[in-house]
Amino acid sequence: MAIITKQKTADRPAPLSETSVLGWLQKNLFSSVFNTVLTLITIFIIYLTLSGVVVWGYLDATFVADKRRECYDNSLTGACWAGVIAWLDNIFYGRYPREEIWRIDFGGLLLVLWMLPLWLARVKGKILIGASVIIFYPFLAGYMFTGGDKGWFMQFMVAGAITAFIINMTNMLVGLLKNTSLDVFLMQLFGQADAGDKTQRNILLAMVAALFVVVFLWQASWNVTEVVWTKWGGLFLTLVISGIGIASSLPLGIFLALGRRSKLPVVRVLSTGFIEVFRSVPLITVLFMATTMFPLFMPEGFVLNKLVQVIIAVILFNACYMAEIVRAGLQAIPKGQFEGAHTIGLGYWGTMGLIIMPQALKHMIPNIVGNIIGLLKDTTLVSIIGLFDILGMLRSISKDVPWVGLHKEPLIFGAVLFFIICFSMSKYSRHLEVKLSAGDKH
Amino acid sequence: MSDQSAPHKRPKEKFDFFQDQRVRSVFYQLLTAGVVGWLAWYLINNTSENLQTRGMATGFDFMDVSAGFAVDFKMIDYLPGVGTYTDIFIIGALNTLLISFFAIILSTFIGFFVGVLRLSDNWLVAKVALAYVEIFRNVPLLIQVVFWYIGVFSLLPAVKKTVDLSFGAERLLLNNRGLYMAWPVPGDLFWVTILAFIIAVVGAFFYSRRAHKMQDVSGEQTNVWLPSLAAVIILPLIAFFATGMPLDWDIPVLEGFNFVGGASVAPPFLALLVALSIYHAAHIAESVRAGILSVDRGQSDAAMGIGLKPGRVMSLVIIPQAMPAIVPPLISNWMNTVKNSSLAIAIGYPDLVSLFMQTSLNQVGHAVEIVGMTMVFYMLISLIISVVLNIYNKHVQLVER
Repeated sequence: MAIITKQKTADRPAPLSETSVLGWLQKNLFSSVFNTVLTLITIFIIYLTLSGVVVWGYLDATFVADKRRECYDNSLTGACWAGVIAWLDNIFYGRYPREEIWRIDFGGLLLVLWMLPLWLARVKGKILIGASVIIFYPFLAGYMFTGGDKGWFMQFMVAGAITAFIINMTNMLVGLLKNTSLDVFLMQLFGQADAGDKTQRNILLAMVAALFVVVFLWQASWNVTEVVWTKWGGLFLTLVISGIGIASSLPLGIFLALGRRSKLPVVRVLSTGFIEVFRSVPLITVLFMATTMFPLFMPEGFVLNKLVQVIIAVILFNACYMAEIVRAGLQAIPKGQFEGAHTIGLGYWGTMGLIIMPQALKHMIPNIVGNIIGLLKDTTLVSIIGLFDILGMLRSISKDVPWVGLHKEPLIFGAVLFFIICFSMSKYSRHLEVKLSAGDKH
Repeated sequence: MSDQSAPHKRPKEKFDFFQDQRVRSVFYQLLTAGVVGWLAWYLINNTSENLQTRGMATGFDFMDVSAGFAVDFKMIDYLPGVGTYTDIFIIGALNTLLISFFAIILSTFIGFFVGVLRLSDNWLVAKVALAYVEIFRNVPLLIQVVFWYIGVFSLLPAVKKTVDLSFGAERLLLNNRGLYMAWPVPGDLFWVTILAFIIAVVGAFFYSRRAHKMQDVSGEQTNVWLPSLAAVIILPLIAFFATGMPLDWDIPVLEGFNFVGGASVAPPFLALLVALSIYHAAHIAESVRAGILSVDRGQSDAAMGIGLKPGRVMSLVIIPQAMPAIVPPLISNWMNTVKNSSLAIAIGYPDLVSLFMQTSLNQVGHAVEIVGMTMVFYMLISLIISVVLNIYNKHVQLVER
């Protein structure tokens, strides 16, 4: 006998494990005797660790003191953060003159402002913005940080950087307010929107040139005191080395990867050899090579300072890792893309630059961010060969007279700092990965 | 474009010197070779000129010169003033290999353990494993190494307050000079025990093969582990006692201000070992997790369906299929462990880089030779490991068919 009702029977309630906190606990933590024991042991371990950390690092810790002795007077079992706090400026800026520190902050602020449009959906021309950062920002920042006399080339590049920055900022404003790109907006403003491409381009070029001339004359009067590189240090130096390392090793890595995939045997063998040699040795040996052998490589009377040696070593080393990332990205591109590009008559560089690389770079973003994180962490090795990067500074605290023997606290502070930077970067890259691959889903 | 009107006729190939593929290919290759060759020549030329003007010697003669500095951790006999730089190189290389070997074993075990925990059904355990991985992956290894050395292993109790880890037997002692172990010294007839052990292992191996064959034929499972384990333990023990216990222990004894005798490792070794193992375990855990996740869910469902217990599902069905995905990143992690062991230099463990590339280079110069030798050593290690990886990959592919 079948019972057929016209009314829909009431929905059964969702299982308890899906709706209530207790149900969730039962399902995820106490599903069996073994799981319960495991949970309890884990809770106990977490409690021990956390209570230890909190008592040592916060409850018993000393935050205000003039020397280590006072920390001990306050509490024997707690951390002595006062030493780290007293050294904060050194940890971030090294021995950079205190009255000039604004230059570093200002340089950092410029970079943030410059890159800001990349995250704004309404702003147009993101590729140009990205390229302008890589091409111009290093010179502006280099001048900001070093100061002193600038030669004609430096003047030229600094003026170019400021011009690019001004254009970038106006473009951002126009994008936010009018939702168009700057050139379109300007053409409409002058009533030339219907003029031919060539006319438009000439007008724009003229305006850029005029701006450049004004900026060039303006910056010529600037006079920033020189700060020698030996005074650079702390997190600032770490960021400079890894920043230059990343910015230069990406293009170099792309060329090495293309070389390794090339059909020309000589190019392929040389690129492969270069990549494999640097990938199979530790970074510290490359750094030692830089400091001991680069002076021998240079012609008589030409001296590279240690910072430049280190940066070159980091670039060479990292470019090889970047090359492997790029190669993996290239391999993920189906052959049809190459063939399609050939069919429409593109040559090698056209195929690579317009068809393959834009697609491959998208695939590579997570790995590139991973590489950036790795390089940032590896940069701490320069403290071994005597540069005062952030680790160098952290370790010098224990040699400072008032804080003699203060080892643990600075190191933990550095570890937490690195953790925050690296962890947020990797989380962001994962978010980016999801966002970018959203278009690939069918 | 002109022959579009007659598509069936093949266009005559015109030899255009600048557009010809082969000419271009040869040209570009010559160009590259020329630029690289010129650069190499330029650097070599500069180097030799610099060496001459500074009056620096070249060549490998220095390898036979005696080294004047002491090394506190060494596996071969060496006396300062007598041993040569060749000895120094060998000591450094052996120390690098020793620390890498132990770090690789430890980190692989911890890594597999944490990687499996990452996928635990227990929410809390999975989160703790995640926290472990994220914390140790995102802090520079060098900071970790220095922290373990300065913050932990240097703060151990002094010699007078040595901690006895063997509960009063004085066989395993820990203080701020290092870890001291009693070390076995085999007597004359000890080879009999070793022989018994080898026989037991070989026997157990054949026994398990026979058991597998039996299972294939009859479907009957025999317990292999228990008899094998019993044989491997009992047979050598019988031999050992029958030959009159030919084994002495070299026990560390307090003499003056320090322990003498037995085997010992210094705090730098322990710090580096712990730091390397924990750091690389975090990386290995992630590749293990990814490898396990790469196995289709249906596999574990099916394995449970035929009645296997969760532990057996893991060891018989999931892990064997995950291995091809786990092993390549695992091996590259091992390579990184060997390379990262060079951070020893920061805490004074005498590995190849700190002993040869720093101390020796400061003593005798010869920068080019020393840097070259050190790099070639690391390249050789990487080469050996990658050859092994390739062999394994081929093996896996064969099995997959």
